[in-house]
Amino acid sequence: MGKIIAVHSYKGGTGKTSLSVNLAATYARRGKKVCLMDLDFRAPSLHAIFKGYEPDYWLNDYLNGVCEIDKVLVDATKDHGNGGKLIVALANPSTEAIRDMTAKDRKWEMKALGRLLSLRSALLTDGTFDYIIFDTSPGLQYSSINAIVTADVALVVTSLDASDINGSQRMTTELYDLFEKKTGILVNKVVAERLSTKEEQKKFNKYLKSIHNLPILATIPCYCEVLRAAGNFIFTEERPDHPFTETLEALATSVEKL
Amino acid sequence: MAAYRKLEVKSTQLLEKIREHLEQLNEKIDVMIEIQKHGHRELPENLPEALDVMTLLSLPDHLRKTAVSLCKLEKATADEIAEQTKRARAVESGYLNQLVIMGYLKKERQGRKAYFYVDKET
Repeated sequence: MGKIIAVHSYKGGTGKTSLSVNLAATYARRGKKVCLMDLDFRAPSLHAIFKGYEPDYWLNDYLNGVCEIDKVLVDATKDHGNGGKLIVALANPSTEAIRDMTAKDRKWEMKALGRLLSLRSALLTDGTFDYIIFDTSPGLQYSSINAIVTADVALVVTSLDASDINGSQRMTTELYDLFEKKTGILVNKVVAERLSTKEEQKKFNKYLKSIHNLPILATIPCYCEVLRAAGNFIFTEERPDHPFTETLEALATSVEKL
Repeated sequence: MAAYRKLEVKSTQLLEKIREHLEQLNEKIDVMIEIQKHGHRELPENLPEALDVMTLLSLPDHLRKTAVSLCKLEKATADEIAEQTKRARAVESGYLNQLVIMGYLKKERQGRKAYFYVDKET
């Protein structure tokens, strides 16, 4: 049976969306059937990467009970399949929709959890997908916790910013542990000097192990080329030989083994 | 030989019946314990609580595990939950009944089986 992977972080701007998209593309390159879902209803972003794909319905509509999930799924395989299958489900980026989603009550959130949980039987049991990747909202809020509870694997993206490290530590012990989730840490935007020599790398890994109790699945250097891409294209697709792509390949393998 | 078989079937049926009664007794005792602990909830002024993720977080660990499993299955018997949580059926039955008393779950009997589910409509 396929797996649901939730990509989450304590703070915003850690690179959740970039890593979700590239991880999805990496699995597609391996011939997998992947569904990438934008669960960041406060700041939707996938529509900007998958430009030109106009969905009939948004994920918002699915959670609202307006339609079933098949109406939301948009096939991006033609442009981004790379030997596999890549389907996306987008969040409605209009201000009206964002406002609507932030004003939901507890009862609605409870139903939304039920809708997310039933994605498993709708999309994973019959082999429709090998992976569903949730790109979530940062921090502790309903939509992201719903996503984490639903997922089989949670990936926490963190930068080396002190506030981010501190928040991620607390979040993993006070939230993830309670739900007994398989969790891995992705340390993103690592400055080059921390990884410049073998010695430095060793020191850095030791440091990471001292602050996180969970497996560190990837340490991803801060590449100017990735920043220059500015989210205008899927980096691992365009630059298959770049070290960033290699890091993502290794990450995809570690997640499979988790 | 046939008489022996018949006797065997009969005693299994009897044991099954005893087990069923014991389970029902157990459930009733659970309810009594819960009421003793927390007093009887005055419904419907106290609207049933929503079993959302924040509530799940606030539950004690043992009940959270049961509640999360039920959210995943939507509607299930104590047996089905026990299969998920790898805990004893009687234990899960106790926890499920506690969650019913707390107002998070609903319970419905269908023949010999008791089904638990999250009430999403009220």
